[in-house]
Amino acid sequence: MNRYFHFTPAELTAVLLSVKVAVWCSVLSLPAALVIGYFMARHRFHGKSAVESLLHLPMVMPPVTTGYLLLLLFGVRGFFGKWLLHAFGIRLSFTFAAAVIASIVVSFPLFVRSVRTAMEMVDRGIEDASRILGAGRLKTFFRVTVPLSLPGIVSGFVLVFARSLGEFGATITFAGNIEGATRTLPLAIYAYMQVPGREGATLHLALVSVAISFAAMIISEWLVRNMRRQ
Amino acid sequence: MITVNFTLRRSSFDISLHETFDTGITGIFGPSGSGKTSLLQTIAGLARPDEGSIMIGNTVISNAAANINVPVHKRNIGYVFQDGRLFPHMTVEKNLRYGTKKHRPQALPFDDVVDILKLRHVLGSHPGRISGGERQRTALGRALLSSPDIMLLDEPFSAVDAGLRSQIIPYLLTLQRAINIPMLVVSHELPDLLKLTDRLCVIKNGICIGHGDYHALLGNREVADVLGTGTVLNALTMTVDTVDTTTGLSTLSISAAENLRIICEQSSRVNAPGQELRIFIAAHDIALATRHVPEVTIQNQIRGSVVDMYDRNSRMYCIVDTGVRLVVEVTAAAVGRLALHRGSDVWCLFKSLAIDVAS
Repeated sequence: MNRYFHFTPAELTAVLLSVKVAVWCSVLSLPAALVIGYFMARHRFHGKSAVESLLHLPMVMPPVTTGYLLLLLFGVRGFFGKWLLHAFGIRLSFTFAAAVIASIVVSFPLFVRSVRTAMEMVDRGIEDASRILGAGRLKTFFRVTVPLSLPGIVSGFVLVFARSLGEFGATITFAGNIEGATRTLPLAIYAYMQVPGREGATLHLALVSVAISFAAMIISEWLVRNMRRQ
Repeated sequence: MITVNFTLRRSSFDISLHETFDTGITGIFGPSGSGKTSLLQTIAGLARPDEGSIMIGNTVISNAAANINVPVHKRNIGYVFQDGRLFPHMTVEKNLRYGTKKHRPQALPFDDVVDILKLRHVLGSHPGRISGGERQRTALGRALLSSPDIMLLDEPFSAVDAGLRSQIIPYLLTLQRAINIPMLVVSHELPDLLKLTDRLCVIKNGICIGHGDYHALLGNREVADVLGTGTVLNALTMTVDTVDTTTGLSTLSISAAENLRIICEQSSRVNAPGQELRIFIAAHDIALATRHVPEVTIQNQIRGSVVDMYDRNSRMYCIVDTGVRLVVEVTAAAVGRLALHRGSDVWCLFKSLAIDVAS
């Protein structure tokens, strides 16, 4: 039993790295998801369905494809990657940042969808009431729209967090499988599976991954229920 | 003062209004779908007119030709929505304080508004946990505390059940006296409007068909047809003279007519001599006689002369000058029997029980 609570340094690094990537990913996605979710919920424009499809694309595309496209764009010989390297000396691919970017791109559609649905449910009349009372668009957004769609925003946040913990295909393609830098939980599990005699460690990490995901879902349910009650 | 001069194109019909609304309460009356709410929305900036302009005081807030359109949040308008539209995630106090502006002087301080509207006991509650009447008063208070230049009220009586609908009227009258700005009140219930004001703007199919004192409006056939769908009320602001606790009757007087005395049932709203009251008598609750009737239970017999008569589909509206003008609704047959005409000397008879009182 005790064995399950004992982590080797490599396992611990993978777990902490995964959580770190997931936190960065969900926190960095939040502002963009709020703005784009609001925009999609409140505005009609030409080509809206095309934009919508583009936004949802990473959700349905094979993650390996997403990772490959990211590599084409941000790899050292990629379109933006080359420029970043020459102008600022920044190398993105096969770094921690690449793991975060891969996670963001793959999970972002989930966030936008969740925020957008929640904001569509907010009565526009209440936003009108706020504006008539002298609040500009920004104040109305932060004091009325965001609080009233908070359950959707929180569940989107947790969904992105959980999706990021499980991200594999885009990460391994764009960020690689470098221990301590980009080897997150799923990548570590995959790596252990390749080595004979590491079945115990594999199962161990798999159980940890289940536990973290389960805890995230429980916390999200609890938060959303509390907010609804208010 | 609000000056509207605009056209708003709609698929069914155009709304085209050219009116001026002064300080005080103006009732906007008309059938459902006639364009009453569109008028308020256009003034508030929620709808943009296709042509024309809108001014509040001397400030142009919308002018289609000059491409001026002051944003909604800069118009300084108090708007009370039909459905209240309180912020469900905030307490009553936070709702009330939402629109307060630091740089604008407040016509009424926060505590006064809370006390006038009797909201102190619910300040910490959320809108979902208070009664319909309290919600409605919170919406009114919230609009008022945003220091508006004008107030727009869209069907403020309709969100609550029949027992509560008139409850808001005394509050509105008190507030209007305290802040004295233009207030437009939209309703399709004529009695509720007449309890607030004599000044009506009648809208039908997007056009104003009559605007002014409703006694005069009754003379316009088209307007009277629209008004005739509701009960026509006489509303008078009177002062309590005497309160007789043994008979339960109070005597009221009015400064405009020295000799006019009205006796009404002592209701819980009548407290002491000197108190100001607004009373309502339905036009069909008043009878006419050509002379004083001595042996009758009716307490109020007021002498006056007929100044105008309007024939409206077998009903007749007689405007009787008793010092104040009263509208009396009688049948055409009765007018024939009594040989009533302009200038006839008449007595207006109504029971003290027929008087409705709002403080």
